[in-house]
Amino acid sequence: MKKILSIAVALLFALSLGACSQAKGPAEAAIKAAEDALNTGKADAMKYIPDQVKAAEDALKAAKDAFAKGDYAAATTAATNASAKVKDFAAAVAAKKAELTKAWGEQSQLLPNMIAAIKSRVDVLSKSKKLPANLDKEKFEGAKNGLAEIDKAWGEASNAFKEGGLADALAKAKSVKEKAVEIMTTLGMQVPAAAKS
Amino acid sequence: MPDEPFQGKGKAEMDATQWHEVKKGDTLSKLAEKYYGDPGLYTTIFEANRDRLKDPNLIRIGQKLRIP
Repeated sequence: MKKILSIAVALLFALSLGACSQAKGPAEAAIKAAEDALNTGKADAMKYIPDQVKAAEDALKAAKDAFAKGDYAAATTAATNASAKVKDFAAAVAAKKAELTKAWGEQSQLLPNMIAAIKSRVDVLSKSKKLPANLDKEKFEGAKNGLAEIDKAWGEASNAFKEGGLADALAKAKSVKEKAVEIMTTLGMQVPAAAKS
Repeated sequence: MPDEPFQGKGKAEMDATQWHEVKKGDTLSKLAEKYYGDPGLYTTIFEANRDRLKDPNLIRIGQKLRIP
């Protein structure tokens, strides 16, 4: 009787070990698949959807942690979750690119107009024998320096766009717009409606 | 002649052209003094509005003038 019991215990142990190693393989494969997919799409995605990349990385980390603890079912679920998140990258990146491109299109119409208007006003004021009321020499010099800055910054923003750095180009464009609004206000000029939003 | 510079919503919002709507008592010299501090620069305003002004002494109330 004792012998039969020992055999039964040994059999159960062997079965549980077998089940365990059966779950380990798929978990390992799921983690590897998620990791490979993440590494492939990560570089481009980081530029446009860093939050989504972080969520996928967190899911992958959870999968690895579960795997390390021997919880292969949880590891498989978390790795599958990470893969699903990575799968969404392409569509999310495309949507974000479209959104940024549209925003850039607006800025690339507005900002050259603003810079040209400021240049024109600075040119005329430079010929003036006296400055208008509410504009002293110091403010005017500040506006001229500001114009040189935004002219340069706009060139940099345009280059960033040409090189595919949409988010960087837009960040630069935003600071150009803010400075241009400041200069126009100093010079007593009307600020275009699109620059107010 | 585009005498209504504020038309066309999207385009107008992007437009940074500076405009002045002529009021009673305005002259190009007064506008040059107001915007540039120098009445002698009235010719700059006149030249920028040659498409709508024939004579720098003849401007009419309500007319919209570009101020370079």
